[in-house]
Amino acid sequence: MNAAEELKNLLPGSVVSTGLQLNKPMAVIKKEELLKAAGKAKEMGFDHLSVITGIDYKDHFEVIYNFFSYNKKQNLALKVNLDHDKPEVESLTGLWNGADWLERETFDLVGIKFIGHPNLVRILLPDGWNGHPLRKDYDMNTEQFVTIGENGDDVVSTDGTNLLRRK
Amino acid sequence: MESDELLINMGPVHPSTHGVLRFKLRMDGESIRECTPVLGHLHRGTEKIGEMKTYLQFIPYTDRLDYISAFPNNYAFVKAVEELAGIEVPLRAEYIRVLTMELNRIVNHLVSIGSLLMDLGAATMIMWGFRERENALQLFEMLCGARMTFNYIKPGGVREDIPDGFMPKLNEFLKDMEKRIDDYEQLINGNEIFHMRMKNIGVISAKDAVNYGWTGPTLRGSGVDYDLRKYEPYSIYPDLDFKVCVRNEGDSFARFIVRMDEMRESLHILRQVVDNMPASKEISSAKYGIAPMTGTPTAVSSYFPRIFTPPPGEVYSRIEAPKGELGFYVVSDGTTKPYRVKIRSPSFCNLTAIPSLVTGLKIPDLIAAFGTIDVVLGDVDR
Amino acid sequence: MFANTYELIVFILNFIGIYNPINDFFKMLGIEYVLRIIIVLVEIAVLFVFILLTVMFLTWMERKVVAMVQARYGPMVTGPRGLLQPVMDGVKLIGKEDIIPAKADRWIFTLAPFLIFIPALLVFIPLPFGESLIISDLNVGLLYIIAISAISPIAILMAGWASNNKYSLMGAVRAVAQDISYTIPLALSAIAVVLYTGSLSTVDIVTAQSGTWFGFIPKWFIFLQPLGFILFLIASIAEMGRIPFDFQESESELVAGFFTEYSGMKFAMFFLAEYAHLFSVSAIVVTLFLGGWSVPFLSFIPAALVPLVSLGVFLVKTYAIIFFAMWLRDTVPRMRIDQLLKIGWKIMIPLALINLLVTAFILTAGRF
Repeated sequence: MNAAEELKNLLPGSVVSTGLQLNKPMAVIKKEELLKAAGKAKEMGFDHLSVITGIDYKDHFEVIYNFFSYNKKQNLALKVNLDHDKPEVESLTGLWNGADWLERETFDLVGIKFIGHPNLVRILLPDGWNGHPLRKDYDMNTEQFVTIGENGDDVVSTDGTNLLRRK
Repeated sequence: MESDELLINMGPVHPSTHGVLRFKLRMDGESIRECTPVLGHLHRGTEKIGEMKTYLQFIPYTDRLDYISAFPNNYAFVKAVEELAGIEVPLRAEYIRVLTMELNRIVNHLVSIGSLLMDLGAATMIMWGFRERENALQLFEMLCGARMTFNYIKPGGVREDIPDGFMPKLNEFLKDMEKRIDDYEQLINGNEIFHMRMKNIGVISAKDAVNYGWTGPTLRGSGVDYDLRKYEPYSIYPDLDFKVCVRNEGDSFARFIVRMDEMRESLHILRQVVDNMPASKEISSAKYGIAPMTGTPTAVSSYFPRIFTPPPGEVYSRIEAPKGELGFYVVSDGTTKPYRVKIRSPSFCNLTAIPSLVTGLKIPDLIAAFGTIDVVLGDVDR
Repeated sequence: MFANTYELIVFILNFIGIYNPINDFFKMLGIEYVLRIIIVLVEIAVLFVFILLTVMFLTWMERKVVAMVQARYGPMVTGPRGLLQPVMDGVKLIGKEDIIPAKADRWIFTLAPFLIFIPALLVFIPLPFGESLIISDLNVGLLYIIAISAISPIAILMAGWASNNKYSLMGAVRAVAQDISYTIPLALSAIAVVLYTGSLSTVDIVTAQSGTWFGFIPKWFIFLQPLGFILFLIASIAEMGRIPFDFQESESELVAGFFTEYSGMKFAMFFLAEYAHLFSVSAIVVTLFLGGWSVPFLSFIPAALVPLVSLGVFLVKTYAIIFFAMWLRDTVPRMRIDQLLKIGWKIMIPLALINLLVTAFILTAGRF
């Protein structure tokens, strides 16, 4: 029995299905129950949150959490499916401090909102950037210009009016 | 006593932020009340590029992530693709890959230790480190013609075989390096001021380090005996004898010592690789390059397809890069291009802890702690 | 033996027999003081040129020593073994735009480099470069040196404040804190030497160190005051503001410390002052503890050559200290400012006081 099935036994209500992510056990979790399932996974010894991946599948979003247990030397992946109109899922920052930036990055690039995240702002792109680049419908043809405003904040425009021009 | 708060913008252009990282510091005199890293000055959208290039075309982009140690980046992506497509790799190719990666680990740690010492004000170490790094880079150049961005490791093997004259030069390097590491230890390890600057600075417990998602030498400095090469082995690492270097203190000094020890272990691995290198000349499952137009169908099929489609599926594959756990999450939809490439870069995840690590310390401590985390901004911002 | 260079010059002019005619000529015009002024000006000009050449040589030497330690060549292109590199640096710095930040305090910003440069030169006045080679043998020479050195923190604070830059200000505050805490052990260990000589005059201090014990140990104060010497050396490296104590710059932390905003000639003035300081502080260490220009064999030298030989001896000793400072800079990391202050106040000052006390006790006991 692999870790995903173990989790399903412990939380039969939360796990939709179990399977493999190539060779790593993976459990698909109901999106409302993610925090509970992740907490249970942490209790099971999966103490290392390796990565959070958000994927835009045009009709829905998937967020995949890859865990690892330093004691058991086992992998576990949790997956949640999110509606395309309302990509929201609970934040894991309460359980893993490391989730902070990973979630911010996923929010920044894929546009998934993590409810309960203490500081959900863009991390790689400047504040005020239009769109989330890793979405499949991201408009790649519009140029965006970034400058720094008087108070140190980022200023983004699509027409370049904020750029400093020599008189 | 109350004093006014001082806001300092450290970076993005600052001698010791290793590139274009910016810290927003709220200072109380010399001590840091709050530290907020601001990332993204080097963001190039590598993940988006990954969705628009074919699998083979994307390999050069991985070189540009952690440009100090590009071989592991190559390998991490290629490993993901190989797992996805189920490609077998000849043994000699695996040996060459491990050889390049371990050499690259030494190079990375030389740069890391050198720049740490330079940030602390002792400029000698970086020059000594670069002297040896130069020898290693010349070896890389012999191997693949490039010194920093290699594009050498390909699905199914490596691009070219080891050239003549490479092995003697490598042996010389290994012999030389052993003495050099002794030199470094004499220069740095016993220095009282260095101890004052590094010990008990930026202390993080094993539990917190795991919680923050730390990996690599930074994690091992906190006493977690973990190394993917050992406990989730890939390539030929199961056949090699090496030990995982761990220190229990969890401070900057421990992280520094772990890197020193790892260089020695890498030398040990390299010697084994040199001794056991398979004699067969098979370096890849298929040839790379453009098949000749006049070739027979069998001759053409011996070439690796330039348009290459792994079966649909997703994989998360990770390796022990010099800076920590480097993972690639690759989703294939059965077309020629990946549907999604997610990069789990060690620098980014290790940097997460810096605000909590340095709160209450002083600017010089921030530099010492930050230096031991060993960050390359190309890897952080991607 | 002459009291200072003025008398030496008069003697030389007399020796070639042109002093009296010239003096008579000026006397005839009734302006004999002009001759004195001219001689003094010549002295100052020679000293100034000497300092400039020394500073240029020191920058070259610094690069070469660093290069030697770091297994590389250093400057090699400009002139033989890169000897003309300082000239090129100078040309470059002079050619640079002189930028004053928009929000800087213009007057103080402009004044600060001069205020740091001039004391760095003034310190040279009571330095005995060799027998008879001293501009002016002040009877409070040592006090004068310490007093003049105390001006530079003010100039640094001016520079840091006027730049209107947080890094500059922090660098300046650090520099002042460091200067205050290290001038005290510096002065205290110098006073221990003064207890032996009973005079603040640098010439007297050097003369007290000539001769030998048992015929072979030179009577340098380093042997009487080993602790004092170590304290003085550490404190003087802190005074020079060099690694491991280079907090005023701390390049990797504060970008360039108090002169972050300076460019062109103003930057060059800081640069010159820094190296002039390096030389003068090393010279003071030599004067106080290493016997200045005196060596045991000086009595075998023909009297006419003594000034030259003693100058050579003095330079060799001074450059040894300078080399030590450069070597130190390449080997050790920088300390942290609070560690530095802690060492200054909690270790150096008590040790210097104890040293002073013990010295005074021994001297008093020896009198009975």
